[in-house]
Amino acid sequence: MQALDKKIQRLLLQVQKPARYTGNEWNAYRKDHRDDLVKMVLAFPDLYEVGMSNQGVKILYESVNKRPGMLMERVFAPASDMENLMRSHDLPLFALESKKPLSEFDLIGFSLQYELSYTNVLNMLDLAGIPIYAGERGEADPLIVGGGPCAFNPEPLAPFFDLFVLGESEEYLPEMLAVLGNLKKEKLGRSELISRLSEQEGVYVPSFYEPVYKAGKLCALKRTGDRVPEVIYKRMVHDLDSAPYPTSPVVPYLQAIHDRAVVELFRGCSRGCRFCQAGYIFRPVRRRSRRRIIETAKQQIAATGYEELSLASLSSTDYPGLEELIGELDQALAGEQVKCNLPSLRLDSYSIKLADRLHRGRRSKLTFAPEAATERLRKVIRKNISEAEIFSALNDAVEAGWQGFKLYFMIGLPTERVEDVEAIVDLCQRIRQHFRHKAGSRIDISVSVSTFVPKAHTPFQWEPQLLLPMVTERQEILQKGFKKMPGVDLSWHDAETSFLEAVFARGDRRLAPALERAWSLGCRFDGWTENFSMPLWQQAFQETGIEPGDFAWRRFEYDDFLPWDHLHCGIEKEVLIREHQKAFACSEARPGAS
Amino acid sequence: MTRIRFRFARYDSLKHISHLDMMRLFQRALRRSGLPLVFSEGYNPHLRFNLAAPMPVNVTASEEYGEVFLAQEVTPDQFISALTEQLPKGLIVTGAFGVDRDEPSLPALVSAALYRAKPVAEPGCRVEPKDYREALERLLARQELLVPKTSKKRKKKEQVNVRPYIFEAYFKDAEDDRSLELYMLLQSGSRGGVSPFVVIEQLKKELRSDCNHKAHWELHREKLYQEQNQFLQPLSEGM
Repeated sequence: MQALDKKIQRLLLQVQKPARYTGNEWNAYRKDHRDDLVKMVLAFPDLYEVGMSNQGVKILYESVNKRPGMLMERVFAPASDMENLMRSHDLPLFALESKKPLSEFDLIGFSLQYELSYTNVLNMLDLAGIPIYAGERGEADPLIVGGGPCAFNPEPLAPFFDLFVLGESEEYLPEMLAVLGNLKKEKLGRSELISRLSEQEGVYVPSFYEPVYKAGKLCALKRTGDRVPEVIYKRMVHDLDSAPYPTSPVVPYLQAIHDRAVVELFRGCSRGCRFCQAGYIFRPVRRRSRRRIIETAKQQIAATGYEELSLASLSSTDYPGLEELIGELDQALAGEQVKCNLPSLRLDSYSIKLADRLHRGRRSKLTFAPEAATERLRKVIRKNISEAEIFSALNDAVEAGWQGFKLYFMIGLPTERVEDVEAIVDLCQRIRQHFRHKAGSRIDISVSVSTFVPKAHTPFQWEPQLLLPMVTERQEILQKGFKKMPGVDLSWHDAETSFLEAVFARGDRRLAPALERAWSLGCRFDGWTENFSMPLWQQAFQETGIEPGDFAWRRFEYDDFLPWDHLHCGIEKEVLIREHQKAFACSEARPGAS
Repeated sequence: MTRIRFRFARYDSLKHISHLDMMRLFQRALRRSGLPLVFSEGYNPHLRFNLAAPMPVNVTASEEYGEVFLAQEVTPDQFISALTEQLPKGLIVTGAFGVDRDEPSLPALVSAALYRAKPVAEPGCRVEPKDYREALERLLARQELLVPKTSKKRKKKEQVNVRPYIFEAYFKDAEDDRSLELYMLLQSGSRGGVSPFVVIEQLKKELRSDCNHKAHWELHREKLYQEQNQFLQPLSEGM
């Protein structure tokens, strides 16, 4: 241990941002590695500053560590400079708290937030000296477990994981670790252990299901035994007030992307936007009480010294009694000089009023996500807001002193036509002109355009992604349109990155060898534009005989077997089919009407 | 309103933290401490707090200073214990005292810093003192040491001569073993300066021994200095 620590210290002198790897932050747990404890590492397959911004990581860290009999440490993906040094110095991947190698833990749980972090998962296993394929792991290796949103279609990762936990695990994970502790006392072998865990609700053991392919299509995942459930139901928290939530979260030394106190107002979202996976997999809406929110906010501020508090959720202005809550928070935190903020503002006057109340500083830009620029397309995706409402909300914002907007749009949405894309340019132009004489000075607009990725368990799960050349073409329409528009600044997501995301979001186990190949060719941090290499991925697909377009661009039929059909997110397929059909019924509405 | 200055040391476990991260660390510790803090007026109130000089990443230090304004009188002992309770292992407050409100700000005082740098050879390698001493002689004999200026605003590559910023540099035998320690008194503060790492990079260019070249350096900041009647005086003496 001591020796490892010394080795790490030395390498840290040679890397960028060494504080990514030091641990020992304020409020971090330091539990002794007693023999009778079940030991878990929460692994986040991205950089420290990304992982430490993730609320799920903080919730799970608290939920396990506050329990006796178990401990959870953290590890993040090392940046390439650190990886190279670790490899050349034979330093295994270590957990931040104890600096012990990952291989000494009972269980490693990967937080799967994003398809483009999959190569990092393999890389972290390899750096830990753990065989990347589940079938090659031995009795002494930790159990490799996956959870988070991507566990709702984990098939491309199936051969690399021993099991997945479906749904929210802040209540279940400590329970599972306790079960694991008991099973270990029985001295069960690895396969028996996994088999016993598979009997638990929410646990999916991919090796117990055999894929069946017909004519190049996946048509079933067949159970290998009777004890294996046919359908796995997600785990869910029923009462947020009694569920574990951090009261003294870890305060990073290095500035995280979101470096602030966070209290979640509610889980789930009632808006039902048809493209939004989070909106479906986190259903139903469960609220935290006003009393508990205020209590938690006070505890977090006192324990961290944070200067900012975020009232988080998928659509915070939907919290009933939000104004009263903000008023009470103001009183509860009086004198602390804490700034409150509401992420995910809706484009309505009520939201602007609240933002006006919270935002006392200089008013630069307010962020909104109309997602689509025509009313027809907004109806298709069920982002129900009229153009009149958009203008009235923006008006309120300008009158309250904001000098610009950041607007999020998507291209490639189902039923989208070229007119819908041109409408983005047109809408921004009209916004500019509308406010030309009203704002004290010119208003600035930042337009950020991403490419739609159809996701599992949404009404659009059957839809193909827009063909890559067409995405590029539509991006060019935007670039041309905004080129001569002063005061408007356009940014867009790389089309190929979104394509790869769609491949893995809709893919099945046949992708696993390509993923392994891409990793061994050197792909890492694929979600970071500066690291992403399409040529390497193309090589990987080619060498493993995969046509990636078959996954991203395939239209599934209602009676096709979907790679995630055995995983139940709580929404019946009929509901999704109905929503899917409604979307297309909306499509016939006259474009551009207001 | 009172103004309190405090002295602190930073040890190994916290040396990897950047200056901005140190600022945040202290500000959050102060916020947790319950001390009667003072915030600036205006829309974006910020804590009236300062550190004397940015500490480079990977450098330990024994005599650093910070200062903070408080709304009410607090004794130095009360201050030290309230802050210490909120600091992580690796930061130790070693003293505190009241300062007149009209005194110049801490960062404005600093004009030089004394560093101690110790080369640690790679395993299987030995530090070769003679090579180091000769390299330093050659380095100091040069009139000009041009290094690229790191300016974020301008893309044009500018060079700056850092030789005048090296007031003094000499090797001294270390107490614990036969390895060497390099002492560097470098200009620092608002009127420009040079990072100890830049000096070491320059020194490396003069080294002949491969072993020495591969060594890594442990850096420690011993003292900060202010200018008094054209002489450098440790910050501690003026306080």
